[in-house]
Amino acid sequence: MGSIQIQQLTKSFGDTQVLKGIDLDIKDGEFLILVGPSGCGKSTLMNSIAGLEEVTSGDILIDGDNITDLSPKERDIAMVFQSYALYPTMSVSRNISFGLEMRKVPKTEIEKTVGGVAQLLQIEHLLDRKPSQLSGGQRQRVAMGRALARNPRVFLFDEPLSNLDAKLRVEMRTEIKKLHKRLGTTIVYVTHDQVEAMTLADRIAVMKDGQVQQFGTPYEIYNNPANRFVADFMGSPPMNFIECVVLDDKLVIESQGEKFELQVPYGDQLKKAGLDTVILGIRPEMITEPKPYVEGALVHTIPMQIEVTEPMGPDTIAFGQWNSTEIQARLSPEAGVDAQDSGKMLVQVDTSKAVLFDAFSGARLGG
Amino acid sequence: MSSLTLSKKLYKAFFITLLLVFALAYLGPLYVMLTTSFKGIEEIRNGNILALPDALNGSAWVKAWSSACTGGDCFGLAPYFWNSMRIVIPALLISTAVGALNGYVLSQWRFKGSNFLFGALLFGCFIPFQVILLPMAKLLAWLGLANTVTGLVLVHVIYGIAFTTLFFRNYYVGIPNELVRAARLDGAGFFAIFRHVFLPLSTPIIVVSVIWQFTQIWNDFLFGVVYSGPGTQPITVALNNLVNTTMGGKEYNVDMAAAVIAALPTLVVYIVAGKYFVRGLTAGAVKG
Amino acid sequence: MFDYLEKHLPKLMLAPTAIVTLVCMYGFIGWTAALSFTKSRMLPQWDFVGWQQYERLFANPRWHVALDNLLVFTVLFIVIALFLGLMLAILLDRNIRNDGALRTIYLYPMAVSFIVTGTAWKWILNPGLGIEKMVRDLGFTDFEFRWLVDPDMAIYTIVIAAVWQSSGFVMAMFLSGLRGVDDSLIKAAQIDGASTFRTYWHVILPVMRPVFFGAVVILSHIAIKSFDLVQSLTGGGPGYASDLPATFMYTHAFSRAQMGLGAASAMVMLAGVMAIIVPYLYSELRGKKS
Repeated sequence: MGSIQIQQLTKSFGDTQVLKGIDLDIKDGEFLILVGPSGCGKSTLMNSIAGLEEVTSGDILIDGDNITDLSPKERDIAMVFQSYALYPTMSVSRNISFGLEMRKVPKTEIEKTVGGVAQLLQIEHLLDRKPSQLSGGQRQRVAMGRALARNPRVFLFDEPLSNLDAKLRVEMRTEIKKLHKRLGTTIVYVTHDQVEAMTLADRIAVMKDGQVQQFGTPYEIYNNPANRFVADFMGSPPMNFIECVVLDDKLVIESQGEKFELQVPYGDQLKKAGLDTVILGIRPEMITEPKPYVEGALVHTIPMQIEVTEPMGPDTIAFGQWNSTEIQARLSPEAGVDAQDSGKMLVQVDTSKAVLFDAFSGARLGG
Repeated sequence: MSSLTLSKKLYKAFFITLLLVFALAYLGPLYVMLTTSFKGIEEIRNGNILALPDALNGSAWVKAWSSACTGGDCFGLAPYFWNSMRIVIPALLISTAVGALNGYVLSQWRFKGSNFLFGALLFGCFIPFQVILLPMAKLLAWLGLANTVTGLVLVHVIYGIAFTTLFFRNYYVGIPNELVRAARLDGAGFFAIFRHVFLPLSTPIIVVSVIWQFTQIWNDFLFGVVYSGPGTQPITVALNNLVNTTMGGKEYNVDMAAAVIAALPTLVVYIVAGKYFVRGLTAGAVKG
Repeated sequence: MFDYLEKHLPKLMLAPTAIVTLVCMYGFIGWTAALSFTKSRMLPQWDFVGWQQYERLFANPRWHVALDNLLVFTVLFIVIALFLGLMLAILLDRNIRNDGALRTIYLYPMAVSFIVTGTAWKWILNPGLGIEKMVRDLGFTDFEFRWLVDPDMAIYTIVIAAVWQSSGFVMAMFLSGLRGVDDSLIKAAQIDGASTFRTYWHVILPVMRPVFFGAVVILSHIAIKSFDLVQSLTGGGPGYASDLPATFMYTHAFSRAQMGLGAASAMVMLAGVMAIIVPYLYSELRGKKS
């Protein structure tokens, strides 16, 4: 069991408040990702859960027990660190067993656990080596093995993949996800990489300036962002933000000197709110070459001047301009080649998943 | 082209010769001490200081060790040699142990004010000890430790801690704090982390600290001459007394044998572990 | 309760050091400072007489000899040791790949105590039997070399011995500094056509400025504290011709029962050290932060 409740948690260093009242309810067995730019407080929040930093106010509960004032070793939590933090003078097997040794687990049981963990992570052949004799990926495995051996109620991962090269990172990502599926233990995982967040999480908490901006499933976060910051932070290439004049219940897009009207969801609410301009948020994959089978009131066709294209392989990102704002469209490779050649094209804009934000506050409108 | 390389070669030969000449100059005093110590007193008076001894005459060494007069008594340097050992060994062990724990706290368990304390301690590396001589004498008298070996041990521990702490703090500051965090989550406490994680990493800096303290305390004269009494003097004080005792004719051979005896332990340490000695010397001076 | 202890263990561990530092460094400095404003002679007395001891101190010709000697000694010692150390370091760095043995030879005097150094040089400089006799034996029968007993020259014997002992250390500092200089810097200078001399003068030495300052600070610190060497080499003599502040303080505080005067001289020494150390530590710590 390992459900976590975080209630009104604050943390200050001197005069600066790093956490400003965090509330999170993490279910048992859940894979929760804390994501945000550096300095957003995600690492501080994780250290507070681990007990490595004292909180200023608020409570942390695991399975309903208030552990706010317990020392790290009494919390039954294991952690994987960004730098791995392997004990340099100990062999791999002692690195894995050290936590059990400190907890006075009988020797035979320790040996059995180390063997099991080593088998699970395929590091049996490394057990007698020192950390300095391991590659980055192997160290990463040992660091996970050390956490696994303890069989804790909660695993904490602090940017565990950021020191690996790109290929290994993708491999380990999948491996961590498989491991979680197999063990079913609650994981709280900190990262600044939104791809990692999307691919791994059951639920994501997006943080900024010591506050949770949005807490939801990857689907919710991606398709229904709570504000402009979340919409901007999640997704690559990022969402397009276009400031548009409101005309009745429609938005105006200007391209190559011509004006086009764009129908959007919640248009009726726009009308009621009486705003002059709003920010239209639309993801690149909703701006494509015309696709005949997509139809409806929310599908428009608008010309676009193509400045540059970036072929990614499976698709091509095209850069154009609307309303004096740079726009990224996601085209098929073939359409991308055509666009590059002709320098302009008609793109199809599907606003069914578009979102609207207040031009000043960035707050979400409607929805 | 070939003339250029020739002039380069000549330069190089000249520089190397220069280096060797300097090496001889630096070795000179040691050579003179050793040769003089094996000469008889007549040979010294008639010959010159650079001459090799006619025969290896060890009598000056025997006298320096066991029967030369050092001020009041005439037991040679032997008792003072052992005095120094009795002062040096406990003092260096205690100050290194305290320095290690201090450095561990100051680098890995910082708290509000710990950096200030480190600064205050660092300053202690530089104060001229003359400024604490008088009150320390009072304190030792008050503790009943005046003129005792224990008192000297205490003084050397107190004024050695600044250096040993500096060594260990600067060494441990390079070890990532994540190790401490990982070990805390593994259930280890303050001392267990020190013992299992930090101590096994510390061999080089322990050697640096021990060698530094050994040479500093063995070579100390100021504390020795101020805080020791008859019978508890360290070897530097005894050597100075031996050389400056003016009873009868000067026995330069005995003086030199005594000087070599007094220098021997630190020289041996230096030759065996010179690398660490240099590291200690430059620890506070060169950045990084 | 146990938790409380565990939480405050780091502070608890530092407490003894903090107390000892507070009492035995700063407290003692205060005590000596207070003493320097009293009439204390054999024993501390606490009747304050203001700056009287300092006035006596600076009216004392022996103190002025000590200060003059300190100036001469410090300047010569630092300049010569820096020059020799730097020269040896550069020559070693340029010409010899495997410099272990030579480095060991240059540095060994640093492992020896000043008392041993003093004893050895006292014998080498012995007016009757030392260098003088050696040169006379070579045929120069009029040669005189009796600095050790010449009141005007005795202080220079201390310079010689101190340089012998400490220049190897300066060499070691410079050598480790030189070895730390980025190789690409030297290559860049050579590609730009700089001669070896110019490369050192304009490129490498400026980079080593911190090492330079470090060496000056440590050498001046050694100079101000110099006590053992004077005691064993000249005993401050002839007369008090080679006295330094450190020997002055010792003589007055412990042999002549002039505790107040000794304390005042110690405080002047402290002020001298602080004038050098405080700016150095300040710039050092500031430099590390930025």
